[in-house]
Parts: sequence; C-alpha cells; structure tokens
Amino acid sequence: MATTAMPVASAVLGADRRWLFRAALYTAAGLGYAVIGAPILFVSWLSFFSNEIVSFPPQGYTLRWFPHILDQNNFVSGFATSFQVGVVAMLGGLLLGVPASLVLARRRFLGREALNTLLILPLVVPGVVAGTSIYVFQVEAELLTGLPLLGSVAGLVLAHVMITIPWTVRLVAASLAGFDRSIEEAALNLGATPLKTFLKVTLPVIRPGVVAAALFGFIVSFGNLEMTLFLVAPGVTTLPIAILQYLQWRIDPTIAAVSFLQILLIGAGMLLTDRYVKLTRVL
Amino acid sequence: MTAAAIEAPQRVHERRFTAAAMIGPASVVVVIGLALPIVILFRYSLNQFTPIKGMIDAFTVANYVKFFTDPFYITVLLRTVRVAAMCTAICLLLGFPLAYCLARTRSRFKNLMLMAVILPLFVGNAVRAAGWMVMFGNRGFFNSIFLALGVVDKPLDIMYTEFAVVVGITAVNMPFVVLTLQAVIEGIDRAVEEAALSLGAGPIATFRRVVWPLAMPGILAGTILCFILAMNAYATPVLLGGPRFQMMGPTVYGQFAGVNNWPFGAALSFILMTATLTLTVVANLVVQRRYRR
Repeated sequence: MATTAMPVASAVLGADRRWLFRAALYTAAGLGYAVIGAPILFVSWLSFFSNEIVSFPPQGYTLRWFPHILDQNNFVSGFATSFQVGVVAMLGGLLLGVPASLVLARRRFLGREALNTLLILPLVVPGVVAGTSIYVFQVEAELLTGLPLLGSVAGLVLAHVMITIPWTVRLVAASLAGFDRSIEEAALNLGATPLKTFLKVTLPVIRPGVVAAALFGFIVSFGNLEMTLFLVAPGVTTLPIAILQYLQWRIDPTIAAVSFLQILLIGAGMLLTDRYVKLTRVL
Repeated sequence: MTAAAIEAPQRVHERRFTAAAMIGPASVVVVIGLALPIVILFRYSLNQFTPIKGMIDAFTVANYVKFFTDPFYITVLLRTVRVAAMCTAICLLLGFPLAYCLARTRSRFKNLMLMAVILPLFVGNAVRAAGWMVMFGNRGFFNSIFLALGVVDKPLDIMYTEFAVVVGITAVNMPFVVLTLQAVIEGIDRAVEEAALSLGAGPIATFRRVVWPLAMPGILAGTILCFILAMNAYATPVLLGGPRFQMMGPTVYGQFAGVNNWPFGAALSFILMTATLTLTVVANLVVQRRYRR
C-alpha cells in the first residue's frame, strides 16, 4: 500500500518544492548577473550625465565629456602606450606561444607536464608578486650589465609578452584537440615542405585558436594594472594606471566617458572575434 | 622506401631539434622573465634595510620576524584572508546558480548571455570599481534612493568600508567562477539529473547528491582561482577601501613605491604568495578528503 501511495505524495509535494527551488535558483542567478553587470552599467550611465558632480537623479544628459577626454593628456598618452605595448605583446606572444603550444599539444616527451606548468605560470603568479619580482630582477640586471633596464620600454614590453603566453598556449592547444595528424603526414609525403604544410594544413585548423589568442593577448596586456605599476618609469603611464590615479582623486563623468569608450572598444573586439571563433568554446 | 628507412634516425634527431627550437624560446622567456625574478625576490627578502643607506646585503630573517611581530601587519594579513574568504563564498553562492542556468538554458540568446559575463572580465578592475563608486558614494545611487525614501536622514557610509571592498572584489571575480562552473556543469549529462528526479529525489536532494558532487572539480578550480585573485587584489581595495582600509596588495606596493624598503616589500610579497598557496592547498586537501569515494 505504501509503495503505491508514496510516489503520488512525493509528486504533489515535489511540484510545490520544485517551484520554490526554481524561484530561489533564478533569484540567485539574477543577483549574480546584477553584481557582474551593475558596475559596467552605472559607469556607462554616468558618462552621459550633464552635472559634473555625481548625484542622482542626473540634471540632464550630454555628450560633452567625450571630446573633453582629448584635453586630458594622461588618458591620450596612456591609451597610446597601452595600445602600442598591447600590439607588440600580442605579436610577441603569438610568435613564442604558437610553436610552443604545437609541441606541447602533440608531442609526448619527458618533462612535458613541467614545461606546460612553466608556460602557465604567468597566469597563476599574482600581478603584485610578478611586478615586484620583475622589478628587483631589473635592478639586479642593471647593476650587472650597466644597461638602463629599470623602467625601460623594453622591460615593460617583455613582461607583457610573457603574460600573454599562457593564453596563447591554452587557446591554441584547445583548437588542436581532435586534429588528425595523418593529414599533415600526407602533405609531407606528397612533397610539401614543412613550412608549406604548416601554412596550408595546420594553420587553417588552428586559426580560430590563434585569432582568440591574439585578442586575449592584446586585452590581457592592455588591461594589466598590478604588474605594470612596478615597471613603468616615472612620467610614463598606461591607460589602466591613468584611470586608477584619476579615480583615487575623484570620480566624474570625464573618467566615466573614458571607461565607457574602453568598454565599447573591448566589446567590439569581442564581437569581432566571436565571428571567427565562439569565445564560449575556447574559454 | 629504403631512402626513408635510412634517413629515419637522422629525421628523429632533426625533429627533436625542431621541437626544442619551437618550445625553447617561450620557456626561456618565462624562466628569465618570471621564475628567476621570483628567486631574486626571495633573496632580497633576506636583506637588511636602513632608511639612510637603503638596502644592505645580508642573510637575515629579520623582515619576516618584523612582519609576524607587528600587530599592524598581522591585522592586514588577517583582513586580507577574511575579505578573500567572504568574496569566495559569495562568488560560489551566487555564481553556481548563474552558471547552472547558463549551462542548462536552451535560449537562442545563450551566446549573448555568456558574453555579458565575459565582457566585464576584460574591462579592467579600476573601471568596475568606478561603477561601484557611482553607486556607493555619499551622493551616489543608493544613498540618493535611501534619502528620497526617507529610510535614512543622512547619507550612509558605504564607500571606504569592508562591505564596499567585498562587493567590489566579488564582482571582479564572479565571471571567473561562473565560466569555470558553467563549463563543468555543461559536461554533466542532463539525463543523470532527470533520472534522480524521476526516481523520487527532490530538487534539493538531486542538487546536493548529484549535481554538486559531479561539479566538484569545477567548484574547486573556480573557488581556488577566486581566492587567489581576491587575496592579491589591488585596484579594488585602493579605490573602494581607501587609504585606511589596508590589504596585502596595496601594502606591498607601498613598501616599494612609497618608502623604498625593498627587502621588507619582498618579504611581504613572499608572505602573500605563501599564504595564498598554503590556504589553497589546505582547502584543496580538505575538500578532496570529504569528497573522496
């Protein structure tokens, strides 16, 4: 008797509890979304306020803060520095990372795991620790060689190249999963040179990974704050550092406009990349 | 055919050389650019410092003793651990449901919903802190609403509190946790959950005994990443906590840039890294022991 009554009772009770469970689930998920999205939305909103001092509700809306950015030399030169370093770091990261990930993904050799861990290291070591370490390293290297390394552009760029490597390795390796090596061997057997085989056979397969690695490399370098703080010479600034320093002093629609433009730029970059490779597949 | 057979040993040799040439440069850059510097940093932390002469070569643990005997620095470390733990807990509490919804949704906007999680990840911590400053300030969004509704007479102090910092870091880290969990949950077959439900388990039992244990690898990876990032946060505590709310990241920077005490700064940096790694490993072991079967 109990065996027939039980499922019915639990089904009735279950429907009710399932509804409650759903409600709790969606509430928590919505809160999660709010916490992630709210700062982006509010800073974007502020960039259109007509009143210079933050207060709600805004007195009106204007676009005048956007041209105002160009008068702020810190943001202009900071953007230029960040952009240039980002592009070089992206290219350097691809040049070093793509060959390395090809080897890591397809060869089996002693010490492969160790090398893999080593190349992921820049992603795992916190920015503050990496920044302080590279700083003292530059001090020592400068003492040893007499070259002006401390705060040099070369030192900054090299450090940025390094932090893009883990992304390239991860993304390219992911795009190689399931790749049939016999196609490459066929190309080689049919007389193609190794370079031609790479360009005509391998590259088209890993292209989504390479595109994603290029984007991520640029973004990771462009947005880096903690490590960069220790590596820039006095007077040199990057966009994230300029934003941080401005915000330590005040918050107004001008800084919000800078932030909004950065959000737009990165959003556009992501949408563009998404056409080549589904970002959600490679992350 | 025979030519290929004769060439073989040489080819193997060549291929090994090629492989080394391909992976070598990246490895050298990371060893020289990061591994070696960390070793030098550790060496620096054993040096001495005097305000007049600056750094003096020495071999002493004085910097570490100074840290662990000064209540100020102990407070900073404990505060950092506490904030990181709270952020991690909230990230998991809100991030898991969000990741679950994202993994199980059949909406055609799924890609867009995921992009909304990924975008903030790349926008920069300072920009996101600015967003909270707009909401938390004395004349910010929340205080304006509270004052208009008559809930309070004068603005609440939300900025420069532990609450503001916890919320700020939680927002910064949440996307990492959500994306890690979403990937793992997507790998769990829907049929397993449906089986549990149809066999009479309630939704809570299904969650606790099926989804949660199966998602454990992702939960571990996500919370560990979140904890490490929170321990080492810099921009968020500086902007939302202000100068009086000291956490480890800003304190390390202050020793280097502010007072030029490199040895003590190096020691702080090392303590921060060690504390992060130790707590991570301990948590990992505890969780693995509980869920071993």
